[in-house]
Amino acid sequence: MSAQAPHGQAGEETHFGFSTVALQEKQRLVDDVFHKVARRYDIMNDVMSAGVHRLWKEALVTALRPSQTRPLSLLDVAGGTGDIAFRVLDAASARSTATVFDINGDMLAVGRDRCPPRFKDRIDFVQGNAESLPFETARFDAYTIAFGIRNVPRIDLALKEAFRVLRRGGRLLVLEFSKVHIPGLDTLYDTYSFHVVPQMGRLIAGDAAPYQYLVESIRQFPAPDDFAAMISEAGFRRVDYTPMSGGIVALHSGWKL
Amino acid sequence: MTQPDPSSHDHSAPEQAGRLDPKLLEILVCPLTKSSLHYDRDKQELVSQQAKLAYPIRDGIPIMLPDEARRLD
Repeated sequence: MSAQAPHGQAGEETHFGFSTVALQEKQRLVDDVFHKVARRYDIMNDVMSAGVHRLWKEALVTALRPSQTRPLSLLDVAGGTGDIAFRVLDAASARSTATVFDINGDMLAVGRDRCPPRFKDRIDFVQGNAESLPFETARFDAYTIAFGIRNVPRIDLALKEAFRVLRRGGRLLVLEFSKVHIPGLDTLYDTYSFHVVPQMGRLIAGDAAPYQYLVESIRQFPAPDDFAAMISEAGFRRVDYTPMSGGIVALHSGWKL
Repeated sequence: MTQPDPSSHDHSAPEQAGRLDPKLLEILVCPLTKSSLHYDRDKQELVSQQAKLAYPIRDGIPIMLPDEARRLD
């Protein structure tokens, strides 16, 4: 089970923000971050992005362009609070279904509690690890992950698993923070990220440390061209990405053909 | 959300606290071996014979993490 082992080999290291930590340690630290912020996660997203995260997520749903006649089967990974799944189901045809998947039980509990009654029999919540998905091969039409992939210790494994569980013709969509490329905006964004965000975390969620991690992890994430290459490497075709908001965020796309 | 689903056309049991959606059971496999799972209704566990692990279901949410699973002898 070498490739599917849920934990790193002894001695393997990864980033936890700007610190270098053992692979196993990263997952525990990330769990701790989201345990601390789960209940106020969506509020913090609103405050920190001045509501713009809603536009980014809408762009993801628009790019997915769910059929109005055929039912869609969605797997939303790292989607604990249900935010993406609810949006996609609202945009998709009536018999579409969503599986909300997250490694963090606290985030899933938030999603389940918030799930609108109209979706109750079309959404399932499953806890697990994106590096070793507990789903049969070729079961989903779409795999989405919004602001989650950078928290996965071994991104290459997560992308391979995404490819496995998608059907032929299935779509991968990844929304993730990216590299700001507009002069002036980059320094402003740095100041905002490293000085303002952790303090807002302290005020709103009661703890600055989780948000310190979040801003650091954004900087450690591969540049968009490099990440696109990783998506191709996992087997996806017609791989491309769209920078948004001056490169603060990018929407990555790939197809299983 | 503790209300039972009032829709009468649906004979497959509507979601109840702790009940697993049969459609979900169809697509779930053991994350380690990718083999099929046996649903133990009484214990609320999903059993992987190949991995010798029983994954717990809590509040209707399957927890498919080997670290959280019960080891079978």
